[in-house]
Amino acid sequence: MNKQPNQRATNPVEQALACPLSRRNFLRSLLATGVLAALPGGMLAAQKLLTLEGFGPTVFQGKDAYQTFRNACPRNCYDTCSIVSYVKDGVLQYIEGAPESTFTDGGLCVKGYAYPQRVYSPDRIKYPMRQVGRGSGNWERISWAEALNTIADKILGIKELDGSLLGLALTKYSGNFGITHYGVEGMMSSLGYTTRFVGTPCWPAGIDAQNYDMGNMWCNDPEDMVHSKYIIIWGANPAYCSVHTMKYITEAQRRGAKVVVIDPVFTQTAAKSDEYWQVKTSGDGALAMGIARYLLDNDLVDRDWVNANSVGFADYEAYLKENVTLEWAAKESGIPVDVFTAVAREFAAVDPATIWIGYGMQRHVNGGVNVRAIDALVAMTGNVGKVGGGARYGHLHTWGFNYHAMVQSPPEGSVGFIGETGPMGEFASDAARAEADYSDRAVNINKIGQVILDTDDPPIRMLWVANKNVISQDFDRNKITRAFEKLEMVVVVDQFFNQTAELADIVLPTTTLFEDWTVNVSYWHYWLGINEQAIEPLFEAKSDIEIASALSSVLNRKQPGSCTFPENIDPKEWMAKEFNEGIYELFGINSWEELRDGPRKAKSGLTPWSDGVFGTPSGKYEFKSELAAEHGHSDTPQFLAGREAYAPYWLLTPHDKYSIHSQFQNIDWMLEVNPEPYVYINPQLAREKGIADDDTVRVFNQVGEMQIKAKLTGNVPVDTLLMYATWFGKKNDYNVNALVDDTSSDMGKYKTGAPGVAIHDQFADIEKV
Amino acid sequence: MTNLYASFQMRALGQFFAAKNGAELEAAYTDFTNWVRQPAPVVDDWQAVEFSFNRLFVGPKAPIAPPFASVYLEPEPQLMGASTIRVREIYQLAGLQSPLKNKVPEDHISYELDCLRQFSVALNQIPSNEMSGMRDYLLSSMQRWLPLFIQRIRSAENVHAAILFVVDCLDTWLAREVENGRF
Repeated sequence: MNKQPNQRATNPVEQALACPLSRRNFLRSLLATGVLAALPGGMLAAQKLLTLEGFGPTVFQGKDAYQTFRNACPRNCYDTCSIVSYVKDGVLQYIEGAPESTFTDGGLCVKGYAYPQRVYSPDRIKYPMRQVGRGSGNWERISWAEALNTIADKILGIKELDGSLLGLALTKYSGNFGITHYGVEGMMSSLGYTTRFVGTPCWPAGIDAQNYDMGNMWCNDPEDMVHSKYIIIWGANPAYCSVHTMKYITEAQRRGAKVVVIDPVFTQTAAKSDEYWQVKTSGDGALAMGIARYLLDNDLVDRDWVNANSVGFADYEAYLKENVTLEWAAKESGIPVDVFTAVAREFAAVDPATIWIGYGMQRHVNGGVNVRAIDALVAMTGNVGKVGGGARYGHLHTWGFNYHAMVQSPPEGSVGFIGETGPMGEFASDAARAEADYSDRAVNINKIGQVILDTDDPPIRMLWVANKNVISQDFDRNKITRAFEKLEMVVVVDQFFNQTAELADIVLPTTTLFEDWTVNVSYWHYWLGINEQAIEPLFEAKSDIEIASALSSVLNRKQPGSCTFPENIDPKEWMAKEFNEGIYELFGINSWEELRDGPRKAKSGLTPWSDGVFGTPSGKYEFKSELAAEHGHSDTPQFLAGREAYAPYWLLTPHDKYSIHSQFQNIDWMLEVNPEPYVYINPQLAREKGIADDDTVRVFNQVGEMQIKAKLTGNVPVDTLLMYATWFGKKNDYNVNALVDDTSSDMGKYKTGAPGVAIHDQFADIEKV
Repeated sequence: MTNLYASFQMRALGQFFAAKNGAELEAAYTDFTNWVRQPAPVVDDWQAVEFSFNRLFVGPKAPIAPPFASVYLEPEPQLMGASTIRVREIYQLAGLQSPLKNKVPEDHISYELDCLRQFSVALNQIPSNEMSGMRDYLLSSMQRWLPLFIQRIRSAENVHAAILFVVDCLDTWLAREVENGRF
């Protein structure tokens, strides 16, 4: 017996449920009565009475009593955790980090541990539904057949009206990074040539910067940071956003490494550092150039490495000598000369030293060039291509899948766009289709509001939203809301009724990671894991590729040949189809089935550029990039002023600990510890404005305004208002993008199809209400 | 006769909460009001009932009063909780199972009402202490969560009168079961 009978259970049913022996007697007596039969019209069907052996109590019986499955967190997060899930009688009971991954190391973050709550949240979207009057809140439940019929009729109607499907647009990004989810793009391709919102709101300026410098964005294995003797974390907050990397940083510290954090905000990572610099927002480039000038002036440049592995250093050197002084750098960055020169000496003195370049610091109008200036510091000190070194930003080295779900052909005779480019993205691109007579119409994902308003001939009539919460996460919420009025149909595929779903005509429920098959890798670490279907999809949820398949069936029934997406798919088979010999070789496996035993780590590529062969046109590290110049940027890193202020205070909207973009914060566990949003302000500013803790304030600028409670903290500079970018769920209309416009960052178009957004070049005023 | 009467009433009640659209709501409501003595509100716009019903029980916005026992019985509101599995086990003990096992939780109000109805009809044919115990067990669970469920509905804004009527009847039925000392 696995459990003692409940002493208090005197009711025979309680006894039966509590104790297997009682249960047996109970069942025998019940069988003896033989009375129970399902009534006509009943919802519960009669089944054969349980066999006695297969009936267990619902208490913990040890791990062996559960079915286990391999899962992988598909969120847009550095850590992409490998998960083991425990299922009993078809119900997910709990999950844990996979012990086989030394990166995940058996532990998950607070958000990850909340996954069962997320899967079984009563708030999930359960059925396809149609809103009668967009934004009215009046919803009808409809069948999948009715939903897909309505959608198919609209698609065919657009094609009939415009002669093409360019009036159908897709916006999709990182809500689920499982590789099979590129089947959403595949669904669009299978319909014909459509309008695609391309680019990324996340990290494009830095991607371009690293491509100009090194020919690729390719970071060292984060696990090798234990070997770093000096770590500068520049504009990243791993204590919130990559908790699994923190153990390598603290281990490096234990071994004697110094950790310096550079950030306008005194983050939790800064609190764990040895030295913290509160840099002026967007003053990072000037600071990096000041450090570079000091290295030059004091003969701290690794000339051997530079001479052997780079081109254009003399040009950068000349620029620095002519344009940069230490005092100027101190003034622009807010970091005193003696402070940054001391660290410059230390950084150059040790081997290896590394800089982690965060995504926050490139979300500026000068973000890309600032990343180039920081890359240059790592290179000129000879720290590129070394274990424990590197200018760490991210990588796509392990993303060489087949993208089988994505690569679909347009129906014969499809008419599309004749323009310079097709769709592209940093992870996967089907832009090759642009070599055909037609291509899709690529538009900037970061200016969705403006694009919808401006695009005509044909206009965007229908928007498909998947893996994305446009209204919460895209920029200038008010403009986007206005732009939605121009759309004739909005379809939102999601798990929760977010702010975008509020403005949908049709919502479609989609699966969580536990209800689907896919495969996941990280843009930070080097592990590969499969994601097995652990439970049945709740209610009527379908995966992205199941939706595509079902839509294809409906379309082809209405108009044969109108959609090429396969009508019968097996999600597990489609997961398997993403693998290829390159992936198998990289990870040292013969079959994806081996991943059922646990995630695997890449066997090579963990120390990029160690062979001195770069991906640039010259094959060297390029302090001077002709390609950058061709693209309209300075050839060497050169100071680019930040955005001119349009309101008195900086407005920073970084990521919180309890959410990833608009995911997780709406879950009860998160709401319990972080029940409401605040604007965080410095006590000095609060005094000047007569604001006390928990006062309701008005934060406003030329984009919009929001009323919110204030929280006083010395962690933010006096000239800064900080509001975490997140979505609080059903009882809160908090949305930082009511205050953030869609101004572009300097770089991003080269590798991701559109420039990034100057998310942190925003300004606002504040007053007590 | 009383049991049969209650059985039809419970069936209609269950079908009302399981309705997928306005037409099904209308059918269930019409059926239900045939079996209650109080005058029921006359409905001329079933779409309005459907909108109200979905805001309360279905979504897609987080429902105000999810019709699942575990939302009210678990320490934290969730579906498929330990209490749901208990209900599943009750069904299994009785030889019943949901055709949507692991997709729709077994403690949906309509399933629980259906199970009770099946118990009642069966017990009316052949008394069984075991089945009485199971019926009382399920009723005791419903006595704990239905008042909370009903409270949420009554506290919500702009609930359609037809839904409030059904909920009042549900409340009355529950009170009568308590009074009858079934559990």
